[in-house]
Amino acid sequence: MDRRTFLKASAALPVVSQLPELAPLAHAQAKDFSPRPGAWRTFEVTTRVEVQTPAGVTRVWVPLPVVESEYQRPMGSVWAGNARRMQTVTASTYGAAMLYAEFAEGETAPVVEVTSRLQTQDRALDWSRKTPATLDREAARTWTAPTDLMPTDGIVRETAERITRGKRTDLEKVRAVYDWILATTYREPKVRGCGVGDIKAMLETRNFGGKCGDINGLFVGLVRAAGVPARDVYGIRLAPSAFGYKALGAASSNVTKAQHCRAEVFLGDHGWVAMDPADVGKVAREETSEWLRLEHPLVAAVRPKLFGGWEGNWLAYNTAHDVALPNATQGGRLGFLMYPQAETANGRLDSLDPDNFKYAITAREIRA
Amino acid sequence: MRPLRLPVLAVAVLAGAGSLAPADPHADPARFAPWTRGAPPPLALIDLAGRRHTLADHRGKVVLVNFWATWCEPCRDEMPSLARLRASLGGRLVVLAVNYGESKPRVADFLARLGVDLPVLLDPNREAPRAWRVRVLPTSFVVGPDGRVRYTVVGEVDWTSPEALRAVRGLL
Repeated sequence: MDRRTFLKASAALPVVSQLPELAPLAHAQAKDFSPRPGAWRTFEVTTRVEVQTPAGVTRVWVPLPVVESEYQRPMGSVWAGNARRMQTVTASTYGAAMLYAEFAEGETAPVVEVTSRLQTQDRALDWSRKTPATLDREAARTWTAPTDLMPTDGIVRETAERITRGKRTDLEKVRAVYDWILATTYREPKVRGCGVGDIKAMLETRNFGGKCGDINGLFVGLVRAAGVPARDVYGIRLAPSAFGYKALGAASSNVTKAQHCRAEVFLGDHGWVAMDPADVGKVAREETSEWLRLEHPLVAAVRPKLFGGWEGNWLAYNTAHDVALPNATQGGRLGFLMYPQAETANGRLDSLDPDNFKYAITAREIRA
Repeated sequence: MRPLRLPVLAVAVLAGAGSLAPADPHADPARFAPWTRGAPPPLALIDLAGRRHTLADHRGKVVLVNFWATWCEPCRDEMPSLARLRASLGGRLVVLAVNYGESKPRVADFLARLGVDLPVLLDPNREAPRAWRVRVLPTSFVVGPDGRVRYTVVGEVDWTSPEALRAVRGLL
């Protein structure tokens, strides 16, 4: 192996000494990361789309935060624009909701703006208190089913079986997968958007660098392959972390690139339980200028809390996979829907390129 | 050792993917895996100037179809050698570098900054990688003058290496 190949191969390894931009050891203090439910916060999120290169009939889809749960209360959305048709639509399989805007041929400056209000709160499971729950058969099937990007057979099943060998309960299996994800994957800041989430390709190529779409996608796929219901929750960060973690919040009111997906697993003793191993990896990689080990106090403080909880500075759009955009005339279905989408006569626009698309998303907290 | 960095890319299921991610691109001529899937999948895309290209347009020449993206570092790293290979073979080799779903301004900016001269096709709907069953970037295909696909190669390639030259020259 020549030096160049070695360096390329090594580049993927978490060896901090090879990263030239590293600062001296940061004097990072341990922080107390303790999400606690009970205080609802109200946010307003505005997505403005101005298609730069309209051609023929232009179509736009903006995801709407419709997840209603113990941690989120949707309060409705309003929209405005110069489209000939604007209406809410729902993707068939998993019920992802979106605002659909259709612009007439000849509209030279298509614009649509969607504003949603909602309330969110922290999640933190009290493991000592059992709240037995069951999924009906159809729901259990849905949340253990394979998707386009998350097969549950072949290498995914083999890996899940290896990780969970000897584990008896669903909780033990989930914890084994969570620990394996943290030991095996790593946050790769250069990955575009939230990553692709092709978990079979990750396992086959052993390329475990990624972002939430990859890392939490792999977590969910492995948990499903182990027979435990699980799902990704696609959303966006709204505000800074109240616990001082810059990696775990939006840096400003401009949240155009703050999309983040979390995960949930279903446990018979507790119902749907919050999980976010990808954010543990994000703290390790991005909280300071150095790549922190899992044992570092900054990482160790979030690791157990993101197993059963998360902070309410984030909204959930949907839990959908394999999204066929209603009324689309081009392009295949999406692995997930977290970014605004659009098509013109020249094809789909690149949803990870907000400046050329273009779109902007802002969030603000509404205080009583 | 750990395999090469291969940014993953989602499309359809790739058959025989167990051979992905070889450790050393310079030591494994078998990376140019023979194509076994029959007729070439469809490829009809426009370039940055708006001209439409299909494989049939280039019958009689060797065609190298390369799937890439601006955010894929191994793709970027192999591009200069791809341009050198193309220049060294004159008009006998056609390179079609199919971008993965990015906008024209973004692709044009990238090529200007990189300073390589390669014919790039835009694929906003990401249909070509689905049809060609590409799940990892970069992935390349070598098509003979008769229009039959001959080789698949996954991951970064030094296109001026003896193995690559052998695979391409053997079809000229």
